[in-house]
Amino acid sequence: MIKLNINNKNYELDIDPDTPLLWVLRDTIGLVGTKYGCGVAQCGACVVHLNGEAVRSCVTKISRAAGQNVITIEGLSENNDHPLQKAWVELDVVQCGYCQAGQIMSAAVLLRENKNPTDKDIELAMEGNICRCGTYLRIKKAIHLAAEIQRNGS
Amino acid sequence: MEIKPGKKRLNIRYAKFAIIIIFIVSVSGLLASGFRSNTSHEKAWVVEVNNKDSIASVDAFMKVYQVLKSPRCMNCHPAGDIPLQGDDSHLHTMSPIRGKDGKGVYAMKCSNCHQPTNSAGLNTPPGNPKWGLPPDDMKMIFEGKSPRELALQIMDYKRNGHKNKAQLLEHARDTLVKAGWNMGAGRKPPPLSYKEFVAAWDKWINNGGVAPK
Amino acid sequence: MEQSRSIPSRRSFLKSSLLAGGGLLISFTWFPGAGIADPSKMNDLPEQWNELNGYIKITPDNIIKILNPNPEFGQNVMTSLPMIIAEELEADWQQIVVEMGPHDNVKLGPQFTGGSNSVRMYWKPLREAGAAARQMLIEAAAQTWNVPVEEVTTKAGMLYHEKTGKSGTYGSFASKASGIPIPKNITLKKVKDFKVVRNSQKNVESLKIVSGKPLFGLDYKHEGMLIAMIQHPPAFGMKLKTFDAGEALKMPGIKDVFRQQLYEDGYEQAGFDTRTFNDLLVVVGNTTWEVMNARKKLKVTWDPIEDSKETIAARGGKKEVVIPGGLESTSTHLEKMQEYAKKPAQQLRRDGDPETAFKNAAQVIERTYNAPFLAHNCMEPMNFFAYVTDEKALVVGPLQAPGWTEPTLSKILQLPADKIEIQMTRMGGGFGRRAYAHYLIEAALISKKVKAPVKLIYTREDDMTYGIYRPMYTATYRAALDANKNLIAFHVKGGGIPEHAIHANRFPAGAVDNYLAEGWEIPSNITIGAFRAPRSNFNAAAEQSFLDELAEVMGKDPIDLRLELLKKAKENPVGQNNEYDADRYAGVLNLVKEKSGWNNTENKKYSRGVAAYFCHNSYAAHVVDIVMQNGRPYVERVFSAIDCGIVVNPDAATNMVEGAVVDGIGNSFYGKLSHKDGAAEQNNFNRYRMIRHSEVPKKIEVHFVQNDIDPTGLGEPPFPPVFGALANALYRGTNKRYYNQPYFDEFLKQAGKPENKRSF
Repeated sequence: MIKLNINNKNYELDIDPDTPLLWVLRDTIGLVGTKYGCGVAQCGACVVHLNGEAVRSCVTKISRAAGQNVITIEGLSENNDHPLQKAWVELDVVQCGYCQAGQIMSAAVLLRENKNPTDKDIELAMEGNICRCGTYLRIKKAIHLAAEIQRNGS
Repeated sequence: MEIKPGKKRLNIRYAKFAIIIIFIVSVSGLLASGFRSNTSHEKAWVVEVNNKDSIASVDAFMKVYQVLKSPRCMNCHPAGDIPLQGDDSHLHTMSPIRGKDGKGVYAMKCSNCHQPTNSAGLNTPPGNPKWGLPPDDMKMIFEGKSPRELALQIMDYKRNGHKNKAQLLEHARDTLVKAGWNMGAGRKPPPLSYKEFVAAWDKWINNGGVAPK
Repeated sequence: MEQSRSIPSRRSFLKSSLLAGGGLLISFTWFPGAGIADPSKMNDLPEQWNELNGYIKITPDNIIKILNPNPEFGQNVMTSLPMIIAEELEADWQQIVVEMGPHDNVKLGPQFTGGSNSVRMYWKPLREAGAAARQMLIEAAAQTWNVPVEEVTTKAGMLYHEKTGKSGTYGSFASKASGIPIPKNITLKKVKDFKVVRNSQKNVESLKIVSGKPLFGLDYKHEGMLIAMIQHPPAFGMKLKTFDAGEALKMPGIKDVFRQQLYEDGYEQAGFDTRTFNDLLVVVGNTTWEVMNARKKLKVTWDPIEDSKETIAARGGKKEVVIPGGLESTSTHLEKMQEYAKKPAQQLRRDGDPETAFKNAAQVIERTYNAPFLAHNCMEPMNFFAYVTDEKALVVGPLQAPGWTEPTLSKILQLPADKIEIQMTRMGGGFGRRAYAHYLIEAALISKKVKAPVKLIYTREDDMTYGIYRPMYTATYRAALDANKNLIAFHVKGGGIPEHAIHANRFPAGAVDNYLAEGWEIPSNITIGAFRAPRSNFNAAAEQSFLDELAEVMGKDPIDLRLELLKKAKENPVGQNNEYDADRYAGVLNLVKEKSGWNNTENKKYSRGVAAYFCHNSYAAHVVDIVMQNGRPYVERVFSAIDCGIVVNPDAATNMVEGAVVDGIGNSFYGKLSHKDGAAEQNNFNRYRMIRHSEVPKKIEVHFVQNDIDPTGLGEPPFPPVFGALANALYRGTNKRYYNQPYFDEFLKQAGKPENKRSF
């Protein structure tokens, strides 16, 4: 039995400890906001927070997450009102939308560690997240806006 | 564990090796110098070497060098702040950067992808709990270094991560170093076996840590 | 399907709400004038919803639900198509609820996402649908209030009669309106009166996307659903011989391993029935991870394929296609292309006497351009859900052309179309790939075999190595100049594996007196298909680079040369069937010239390249500014000028152009799928380089030509000319012409850097 805490909810699962967290989230628990994109930690679509760090769930064995705190896009905010979520909607970032949960989860770690990131900081933090539609420019703007919302508390 | 650099203290600690080398040994075309750094860096320690030992030491280092320059070691001791990747040592995709502690930055920390153990399958990240680059203030670059440069660097307390002799010897037994021989599918191990590497490393250091000319 | 509420204002977030019971549904056929709804049938419908499956439903409390007919793959039709209806309906956009429509080509039109057609083909029918509904509501109010129809006005979902001061919501008249006959004559709004269209409206699904709601095919769940994967051959040119599933079947969670033929022998393929392999080895189990692991335990032997023929019934009739045996490699492809380029080819267009003109020329310029196969690399890999029984089929997932897939599915399952339900999920990218829905057929056959609901999943490796790729292309361009450096003849000879890219009737055809276009093709067993702006995405690289080089030789500004040629094409066009409008073509060039400050000296610090192209009925021009930094070229700024007629949703359209620019830079810089002995050499993003955050221009400035022309395509047109503009900018930045894609490989070669080392 593996004990998990996902989005502040406890789970106890009888599952192969080598199973990637991604498939436990998607197939077992039913949280499908975390996406499968490459399976080899290249694209960032599967980023979740493990004790606050932006781990790639496709290569994170469930055993590593046992007893730790996992936050997925579904649990990033209570009312979908994280500054990043607000900024994403405000600036109409998405095209197909498939990569965006991963982008937001990566950006959330950046904003926690750097309240006022520069373009360069954003690139350093986000280079691991691929957007096939090419919304990068808007993602960058949205992160700046989210930082502003975060600073102004609105 | 940490030892402050200082000739005196080191000399005391390694008293039995402690004679400053003041000559350069030259045997059959092979020029080797002991711990005679031509920089102002302080030395890890100093030893007396004789001809025979120097040759043995340099010989051993040349084996060590092949390992250090293999992708399994060099990829995480890059010249820049972005690690290298793969058997062809290309720049790491997605350009993760070193960060202050060598563990990456923001959403691009090494351990976000590099797990405590290897991930299954081809092209997946190799794993180790200590995965990372040397820190920003001690980059310990291997890439682009000649045998002499690299040997001098490793022997230089100020540039080797402040390792004394015992710590250097110990470093070959480090789990992250050892992981170089088990990096998952599709990655060639270093040219020497781990056992051979440790033997060569020890021999190099124990025979004076001589840097090839 | 879940509904999405329109997102009204800055930092205000509405939750989507379910429609309350009661209300009206107004249904419209695709063909205007054919009678939009049959009122007699309304009486038989349940009181609460009058479900007829049309575009518009209105509740008594005035919530207006609009069904989006066309599959959404990121082009934002979930927002823009309902906007068109809302405009003519005079609905309050803030009260609109949008829902993805079911697959129903009779009631909801062609439902095809591709060819940059969504807005173009739905523009008129949706306006008519909205306008007719509004007229019916007016009629209902006029009858109720007993006032003349002409005196009833509408605004933002309300009906008014000024003289009597009466007013009411659409919702309060919706029920009565359903009984009103469909108006025969529909008056559409004047463009200048648009309130919703031409005003930026936010993506109605944004909030769901950023909060991780299940929207995509891969997210779909069904009770008792199993997971299936296909073990494909290790290379093109191979097929399944034998397999031993003993160990795989012992793995946890595994239900079945079997061989499944996709199309029966002699099956006549429709145009979009392309598939990579026909003889499939299928693994079915409980969860994705279990199936992935079991796959690794399969023991399989493969056989080489022999030359075979396939019958394909595409537009323009049936044709026999030879699929050659053999294991193909990129190196031999390149050699073969050089060899074929020297052979006589099929003439596609000929004006004047090009041979004589070239013979008499004072100067002939000849250049050859090459481009590799490209993989679509949609972020959401191919997948589909199917639940097929002997009686019916339910299939759910991402696809671009349900109307083309349904007949194939019907034939293969031997089920009539009315027993097939296709639900379209949001797609994690498409780019043409999901028009080829073989993966849907595969899922259906697997479900039928295992008698259970099944989701077929392609891993990234499956998706990339067994794709329906952009073909490999080459083209040689020749230009003849007289002694005064006038362009007297133009010749393009293009080839490809397995098809060429030449659009013979496009610019500069029509602008040169002596013109020749030819094409040749090399058969291949590597599967190809549409990829964002098929063929154009190569032509706009090659032709626009060639024109740039030509301008240099002729001593002309590259924009001026194009404008001169376009002037000639307008005033004194050569030949027949010229596909483009020279004025609109020149229009985007002039606009980009102005907006980019083409001749301003302060822009001299950039290495600038320009290109313009026409495709999918729209015109696009870009100026790309590069800088050399850390020893490599970066695109710093891009200026884009687009003429796609009326822009329905300006900010979303801008987003799409920005994306096309980034996609263009990414694919021309890095895109490459190469083969060795039939096997793809790139199988995941570690080897297939995708453009990433730091490589994107700091600024992309998008300008639309303002006109009142009915909308034309936008998803594809901005993409191709990026390739040409970038090549031309690179020339100015590096002093080398770029003839081979991907450009970054070419740059590394020229800079003397080993190809596999990214020293940047």
